[in-house]
Amino acid sequence: MGRTLEIREQIRRGEVSVVGRVQQFIERIKKEDKKINSFIELNPQAIAEAERVEKKLRSGERVGRLAGLIVGVKSNINVKGLRATCASRTLEDYVAPYDAEVIKRIRQEDAVIIGMQNMDEFACGSSGETSAFGPTQNPAAPGRIPGGSSSGSAAAIAAGFCDLSLGTDTGGSIRNPSSHCGVVGIKPTYGLVPRQGLIDLGMSLDQIGPIAPDVEGAALLLEIIAGRTQNECVMLPVDRVEYLSRLNRGIKGMRIGTSSKFAELTDPKIMAVIDKALDKLRDLGAEIVEVELPNLEKAMPTYYLIVSVEFFSATRKYDGRKYGKRIEEVCGEEVLRRILRGAHISRREYRGKFYQRALQVRTLIREELMRALQHVDVLVGPTVPKLPHRLGDKLTPMEMYGYDYLTVPANLAGICGGVIKAGEVNGIPVGLQIQGKPLGELDVLRVMKAMEETA
Amino acid sequence: MRVKIGFEVHLQLKTERKLYCNCPANYQDVPPNTNVCPICTGMPGAKPLPPNEQAIDAAIEIGLMLGCRILTDRTIYIQRKHYDYPDLPSGYQRTSQPIAVDGELSGVRIREVHLEEDPGQYDPVAGRVDFNRSGVPLVEIVTEPDIKSPDEAREFLKLLTRALEYTGKVRPEGGGAMRADVNISLEGGGRVEVKNINSIHGAFRALNYEIMRQKRKLERGERVERETRAYLESQMITVPMRAKEMEEDYRYIPDPDLFPLRISNQKVEAIRRQMPEAPHLRFKRIVAQYNINEEAAEVIVSERELADLFEQVAQRVSPHLAATWFRTKLKKVLNYHGMRAADVKFTSAQLAELLQLVERKEITPEQGELVLRELVVDPRSPRALLEKLGLKPLKPADIEKLIHAVIEENQPAVRDYLSGKTEALNFLVGQVMRASKGKADPREIRKRIEEILKEGR
Repeated sequence: MGRTLEIREQIRRGEVSVVGRVQQFIERIKKEDKKINSFIELNPQAIAEAERVEKKLRSGERVGRLAGLIVGVKSNINVKGLRATCASRTLEDYVAPYDAEVIKRIRQEDAVIIGMQNMDEFACGSSGETSAFGPTQNPAAPGRIPGGSSSGSAAAIAAGFCDLSLGTDTGGSIRNPSSHCGVVGIKPTYGLVPRQGLIDLGMSLDQIGPIAPDVEGAALLLEIIAGRTQNECVMLPVDRVEYLSRLNRGIKGMRIGTSSKFAELTDPKIMAVIDKALDKLRDLGAEIVEVELPNLEKAMPTYYLIVSVEFFSATRKYDGRKYGKRIEEVCGEEVLRRILRGAHISRREYRGKFYQRALQVRTLIREELMRALQHVDVLVGPTVPKLPHRLGDKLTPMEMYGYDYLTVPANLAGICGGVIKAGEVNGIPVGLQIQGKPLGELDVLRVMKAMEETA
Repeated sequence: MRVKIGFEVHLQLKTERKLYCNCPANYQDVPPNTNVCPICTGMPGAKPLPPNEQAIDAAIEIGLMLGCRILTDRTIYIQRKHYDYPDLPSGYQRTSQPIAVDGELSGVRIREVHLEEDPGQYDPVAGRVDFNRSGVPLVEIVTEPDIKSPDEAREFLKLLTRALEYTGKVRPEGGGAMRADVNISLEGGGRVEVKNINSIHGAFRALNYEIMRQKRKLERGERVERETRAYLESQMITVPMRAKEMEEDYRYIPDPDLFPLRISNQKVEAIRRQMPEAPHLRFKRIVAQYNINEEAAEVIVSERELADLFEQVAQRVSPHLAATWFRTKLKKVLNYHGMRAADVKFTSAQLAELLQLVERKEITPEQGELVLRELVVDPRSPRALLEKLGLKPLKPADIEKLIHAVIEENQPAVRDYLSGKTEALNFLVGQVMRASKGKADPREIRKRIEEILKEGR
């Protein structure tokens, strides 16, 4: 049993106090997070929530599957009564008036929400540096960026500030910081997890997903947040999922695809770690198969065209009338860059040239990945082509976008992807990315679990 | 000078709930900003619910009513139309691609019918926005420029609102429920679009103004540029809109939060089976089937419930008699009470019974009208109402007695009549009517007096 489930058992047996743990975590955050900067706001109700769960446990009442576990939430998810700032000045005073669907679900399972986590502003960034509340440090590689945009969510797990985090992934925002921080993260299949209450970046790409210290923790949280609701249109017809009981089947006989394209785009030092991981998977009985992904590198520019148009549309509501500040007047550079790009390429005269073309390439990439996944169960390779840079180093926008080459294809295709630490380069964690078929989360989790056990 | 006029008409659909959330749609009946939720106020993170089926069905029915072809078994995207205005909480309005195309109403081709959501209501003076209306479903009907004069335009809009009211799926006109944009061009001039028209009357006035304005320009040898203007209701004129508003680029994109619509043939056929007959078709049928004049038929089909009532009554009495009564007496009484046919409480059987009494001459048309007036406020059997009003029909023998008595008592008038002063007959008839307390039929009495006096001569 992994760490997360072990803690859950201890809580259930009454061996550790929920309130006591929440107090400890809050104290630790108050002391150590000055350096890491993974939280924007702590939940003033956390202790009260913990007391409620504790009472239930003591009275022998039936408790939920997350009873007493401490969850941090990325600041682009609405948690009633807490500020959903998106780490932006635009929404710095926006107190969520309602719970996102995923929040309702984790509350239902008796989780304790500890606070709102730092992130790249409006999830626009791959480094955790664009937050209006300051950059986040990488606890696993001090002095370096934690990756983004779910920077606070991954850093908080790496620093041990919470048991589980809810992050979001539009082009790699769960997988990228999970890789850099050496934690476990999953971007679910598009349409598996409800987005009701998630503040938009790119609506056709966004998914909420778990970030956890271990595979079982991620699987547990995903089981709870996954499944359709009648209150949302664009969802897959899945009512519930079950992973935990089926994780440990091993990977013997599994067909694992990989592509020479990965090495072309990736730092050789990272590839060395990935190749070693592939060897381990082969040793565990998987069959490694080479697949063709000829258009893989086209995904990144395509992604930035589509996400910018959708983000432009999504941000029209921040017109300065309702939340006090017009987004274009207070946002950071990268957010503004995306809004202006989106406004430009969605203009009547450019539609055909950029946006329509991007949608066509998106179809091409989706078909390419689907074709590859017909022959294999999962695709395995690196998560991020480069090691995280040092905080303070200045990157050009194109260098920054270069972090996303390997993560955006899954979002464009709507497939799932998970990340688990494969090793280190000079003490910096390197994550293995496992991409699965639509709704192929179980296969992805099995490979992640097998990899975890080799460590 | 040839004039071409086309319309884009918006009408609110009469659904219980808004288009993309579960808030009630009765925005006028409640205090400001009470029919609202995170979805219809565009709160960060709120996503639309699946579109209201009632609204989709209504748009289909309206398409059918206007003789359109419904676009079945294909992808109909719901698009985001972006523009910046205080009443638009998300900065975009959701508007569907056409649901129905290629219709026709009274010689005007209908280009398309599609579904939209209403924005909130902005009060620029108070600087307040009421989002109760935000998300109420609208249908937009776009015509080809087939209308040739303001009079034709007014007639068309009347027919259109009547046809839509027939479906029972739109909110009745008034209270800002109908809004129209009109485009108008004169031969040799550019196409001018006039926005901000809120009534049929307003459309008529705006068009008259525009024709006059454009004509004068052309007569002076100036060009009429293609432009967008706004109608100012208070001054009954149109003014140019700011260049910014005209050059607006809505940057349409399919809404990623909604699946596109897909309408099945079965659905369309199911709607077709239960929908009411279109008024212009019903008009033709009623004229032919009951052999009544067009003038009466026009009145009868003006309201769906009035036509329903007529057809039920016409099964039991002469359609000709019924038509005459509907066109004159019934319409008059309803207008007096400010009632629509939908509001009447009496049954078609009660009205038929009343007309049967008249038809069999058991009561006079005058008595009948008194009963009708009573029937509207006190719906029960016409015989009971006759009693209540003290209008018990007289027996023929009683009337005969009265006539003879009047002739006896008014010999000078009799002599006048016999000597050729025909107007003396009116006096005698009046005397009998008075004696009968109005219960006799003056036509019958006149006939009878004439007979008696001729015999006696």
